[in-house]
Amino acid sequence: MKSILFAALLFLAVGPVAQAQDNPAFMPKKQTSVFEKYCFDCHDSETQEGSVDLESIPLQISKDIETAERWAKVLNAINSGEMPPEDSEQIPDQEKLEFLEELSRQMVLARKILSDSGGEITLRRLNRREYQNTLESLIGVRPNVSGLPDDQASSGFDTEGASLFFSSNQLELYLNAARHSLDFALNSSSRVKSKTERIEPEETYTPHYEGYLEELRTRIANSKKFLASPDDPPTDLGILDAYQAKKQMRNAKKWVPQLEEYVARPETKTGATMILTIKKGGPTKIKLPPVGAHAYGRYKIRVRAAAYKDAPVRFQYLEFTSGIGKSRNHMGWRKVVGTLGDPEIIEFEFEHLPGEKQLYMIHQRTHQDRGDKNLWTLNQLENGIGTPPGVWVDWAELVGPEQFEFPQRDEILFERPQGWSEKKYVKEVIRRFATKAFRGTEPSEEYVGKLFERFESASKDGNSFKKAIVEPLAIVLSSPNFLYKVESTGGNESLSAHELATRLSYFLWSTTPDQELVELAESGKLNDPTVLREQTDRMIADPKFERFINGFVHQWLEMERIDMFQFSGAQYPEFDNAVRANSREELFSMFRLLVQERLPLKDLLHGNYVVINDLLADYYGIEGVKGHEFRKVDIPKDSVRGGLLGTCAVNVMGSDGIRSSPVERGAWVLRHLLNNPPPPAPPNVPQLSRLDGEVLSVRNLQRAHQEQPQCAQCHQKIDPIGYGLENFDPTGAWREVETVSFGKSKLGRKQTKEFEIDPRGKLHSEQTFSNFAELRDVIGEHEDDFAGGFAESLIAYGLGRPYGFTDKSLSEGMVQHAAKRQYDINEFIHALIQSKAFSTK
Amino acid sequence: MKSSRRKFLCSATSTVAIPFLPSLGLIAAAAPVARGIVNPLAPPPKRMVFLGIGFGVTADRWYPDIDREGAEYKLPKLLKPLARHKDDITIIQNLMHQYSADGHAGSTFWLTGANRYAVPGQSFHNTVSVDQVAAEVLGNDTRFTSVQLAAKGAGTDGHGPGLSLAWNRSGKPVAGLDTPVAAFHRMFSNDTTPLEQRQKILNDQRSVLDTVLTDAKSINRKLNKTDANKLDEYFQSIREIEVRLAKEEKWLAVDKKKPSKPLSEPGDLEGVEEIRMMYNLMVAAMQVDASRVFTYRMPANSMIQSLGATMSAHTMSHYSEGERRTVSQQRDTAHAKLLAEFFDKLKASKEPDGSSLFDHCSITFGTNLSSVHTLKNCPTLIAGGGSGFKHGRHLVMDNPKTPLCNLWLSTLRGSGIASESFGDATGVIDELFEK
Repeated sequence: MKSILFAALLFLAVGPVAQAQDNPAFMPKKQTSVFEKYCFDCHDSETQEGSVDLESIPLQISKDIETAERWAKVLNAINSGEMPPEDSEQIPDQEKLEFLEELSRQMVLARKILSDSGGEITLRRLNRREYQNTLESLIGVRPNVSGLPDDQASSGFDTEGASLFFSSNQLELYLNAARHSLDFALNSSSRVKSKTERIEPEETYTPHYEGYLEELRTRIANSKKFLASPDDPPTDLGILDAYQAKKQMRNAKKWVPQLEEYVARPETKTGATMILTIKKGGPTKIKLPPVGAHAYGRYKIRVRAAAYKDAPVRFQYLEFTSGIGKSRNHMGWRKVVGTLGDPEIIEFEFEHLPGEKQLYMIHQRTHQDRGDKNLWTLNQLENGIGTPPGVWVDWAELVGPEQFEFPQRDEILFERPQGWSEKKYVKEVIRRFATKAFRGTEPSEEYVGKLFERFESASKDGNSFKKAIVEPLAIVLSSPNFLYKVESTGGNESLSAHELATRLSYFLWSTTPDQELVELAESGKLNDPTVLREQTDRMIADPKFERFINGFVHQWLEMERIDMFQFSGAQYPEFDNAVRANSREELFSMFRLLVQERLPLKDLLHGNYVVINDLLADYYGIEGVKGHEFRKVDIPKDSVRGGLLGTCAVNVMGSDGIRSSPVERGAWVLRHLLNNPPPPAPPNVPQLSRLDGEVLSVRNLQRAHQEQPQCAQCHQKIDPIGYGLENFDPTGAWREVETVSFGKSKLGRKQTKEFEIDPRGKLHSEQTFSNFAELRDVIGEHEDDFAGGFAESLIAYGLGRPYGFTDKSLSEGMVQHAAKRQYDINEFIHALIQSKAFSTK
Repeated sequence: MKSSRRKFLCSATSTVAIPFLPSLGLIAAAAPVARGIVNPLAPPPKRMVFLGIGFGVTADRWYPDIDREGAEYKLPKLLKPLARHKDDITIIQNLMHQYSADGHAGSTFWLTGANRYAVPGQSFHNTVSVDQVAAEVLGNDTRFTSVQLAAKGAGTDGHGPGLSLAWNRSGKPVAGLDTPVAAFHRMFSNDTTPLEQRQKILNDQRSVLDTVLTDAKSINRKLNKTDANKLDEYFQSIREIEVRLAKEEKWLAVDKKKPSKPLSEPGDLEGVEEIRMMYNLMVAAMQVDASRVFTYRMPANSMIQSLGATMSAHTMSHYSEGERRTVSQQRDTAHAKLLAEFFDKLKASKEPDGSSLFDHCSITFGTNLSSVHTLKNCPTLIAGGGSGFKHGRHLVMDNPKTPLCNLWLSTLRGSGIASESFGDATGVIDELFEK
């Protein structure tokens, strides 16, 4: 029997419960007739079997944690089928369904009520993103933070104070990261001169492939020789038996045509055609000269390239990657439009961070895993050659570095005034640095004194001045006044001007306040609502606002799901690393556009445009989009794109790498678009195994959810929404039929069966729709719900605590304010920043 | 000795505190001193090893037939490599943590059993892990109170939040050594820096702590209670470093011992080879008594990749018929093979009294996830004589929700550690102590 523990419902944390209880979670009296009929025999106040007394259980679920836990146990016992026991009278399905539905709903409410922090914000530590950005702001070097705990791992937003922990080894991690970065900022004096290094790929690849062709021909000849005399085969060919000879000949014959074609191409005498070999290095890779730790700065890659216009468009791109060893990070993609007759020069810019060694490469677009090789083999079966090449590269140049300046260095080590002793100077260096690092809080004299001792000790050990000063400054960057955003006023008092600047800056920039904010805080002007509004506008227009987009939008829409599953390249050839990365960027770009152009929030539900680049335009089949920058592209009214639901990313998030998942998609819509989250998924639910072995459409698979009341009570709300998205395949491509793979996989492909798609469904059990377009329209009517959910997420992210009932008037106020301006995102942000909550501890 | 432990265990199913009689483990732990002088007549020390695999097993093939309990059970095909140890291992079914609900966290609460949401206003909470409780007793006289090994990149291996399997007394994650190279140097490499200089480094570290503490105290005066509690995590971190430095100081002049078979620095290993090397390092560390408590949060992604799979461990964990299932099963068998080799080595390493390391070690292999996102019937394979368990059996608990913490409590008490209770344990598992 499955045991569905609603442990998630048990977290029911307490806050000032009383204030949030204007609308308590109640189990309606009429529902408790279920108890009388089916439970009281064993569990009334007299019998209390297993110490469970359902007669005296308070109907107000949100009364306190204990009551809520008792109700959670009831829910759990009925959900899992544990109660009523098998030999007792069972609750009829309809009655059970209604009871469970009501109880789940009330439990969600109770959880919200009981976890309300009553507006209290717990002391917030800098999260990993903020720590990295802040160090960069203070000392000019962006530290490598991969050793620090990733604060996004726990649920909610990574700005939530109560969930930002400090573990026992963290102090040393901070110290080391700070030492490393400070040493770099203060001591890396040797400048690396900019230069241009050109790679002529034919110098590597022409001999590489010619040699390989020769090798394969020899293998074929040897195999023939071996097989020619079966009784007395030659022993000097390195061939063991006939099996090996045949296999090697078969493979060689498969690989030869591609290489023959390669060497026959005249352009491979002066450049390299991008191909893929199964056993000779995979894709053709243009390896740029390695860049060392000290050669940080801005670089430019210049590539002279041409596209083969008859090749599939996916291959007419260059992929730029970085990394050391096997793992590659994708930096970006550029479409090649030049031709062999008229090649073009493509420029790709990037930053090489201090302290990192990297090998940069250029190659064709890739899939995860064996996708490309599987595809090559499939292509080879069709055309006898393999995957047709899409791009030719004449040469590639690495130009740089244009080294970063560290203006912070001169600021930290300001010029020593005449007549100052070293002690006086060092103490002042420390004091100024600490005050800035502590966001306006002056360090105590005792603390500065101890830091000075650290400097002295390091000097005594024989370190130079600039080396010795690293130690005390690194300690500053590991001290609590730096690591925690201290808001020292207690109770419901206003924040100090510096504290307000800090809250504002971390909200919109994820870093420490800049000079302008600090000055406005010092002069007290920041508290003026007009100034605050101006500053908010300035900050939104600043490039640092990208950090808000990446931090907030990513977590708000649960975008980590984009990377959760792998997709087989053989099954989904079009969905490669490039599409995955750009699909994420698409959501960020949509959001950015809404903010910049003050477009209505509801465009995210349904807009008559998309925000894409050339690569996604190719994926979506939209014509006329040139260049890698994301921009607004108008689409026809009846297009399935436009709005979040039509994006690749959202549909990918609702699949498991093999099939689409109406459950995930439906739940996502309820959580993020309709602000009506379903109860948390119960743990320990078995996969739908009753239908195992049957080849069914996704929609038919979900049938099993409707068979038992305990599943149906949630799934009848979730799944039908997902049905409306069934025309999107797992990779977000539009489909008219669902193709289901089954059986054994060969070259990554299996047998398939096709099913008609039935996109009909229901929203909130009342609004019906017959296809995706209608679903989108129906959801579009819920603009207010969407705006409410957005405001709640913004509050949680910006204030650094979970949204609670005490915030209801705040979120309603924000929505009302923004509604006057078509739900302009800027206005939500302004409304939050101008609110009392934002400037109150 | 045995009878006294037995007496204790009989009454231990109730959670009432009872006076504890010192057993073998405690006496052994009390005897040796830091200088490395070991009384040859003292019984060999008790040890514990916890091996966490992250994502769960191929459930329908990994567990033995539920209807065949006891010694006569059939070892599942996937676990065949363990056949030669069948008499020395036990597979237990129907253990679980009642509060675990996170389908991607096979390690976070595995050794703790905590309720993530137990603390108001916090979306994450954890409590001390069983190994750390054991280390408080078993770790007093070894250079390393406990050793945490934790493979790199475990974030996507189905382990969930945490830095290793271990969580300290305040429920904060304990960091682990992430590569065989790091583990090797930590446990066996001697620092060539002169003694005075090492002493100075220790003193410098103390001064750093003293300095940040000065800053922390200046804040503490201005905070309300909630914030002060939050900042206490920082103080706690400092206290722990102080404790560690004190121990380092105690051992400063004592050279690290080399295992009898010379061990060379491992290379850059991944997957199966990494696991094999970590097992070897643990055996070596036991041989020289560098530590008595080990946890290892094992790699999943790199492991299946070293077996030739090209999918991610998460993708594998959602196995259905086909490639994902094949990979999942290969992974299960590879683990069984590595584990069998580990047991071979532990059995081959002899203590002065002729018994083996295996005889005095409690080994648990498993995870909080049984398969996919299911958190009941946690896969649990135990071995070794450290806790006095009767092995060679397949145990199926009557109650399908038997707390996994009952096993942790049994392991602790069986090893002579006087824990009144652990987590949500309702008692020890009596069957383990049957004669």
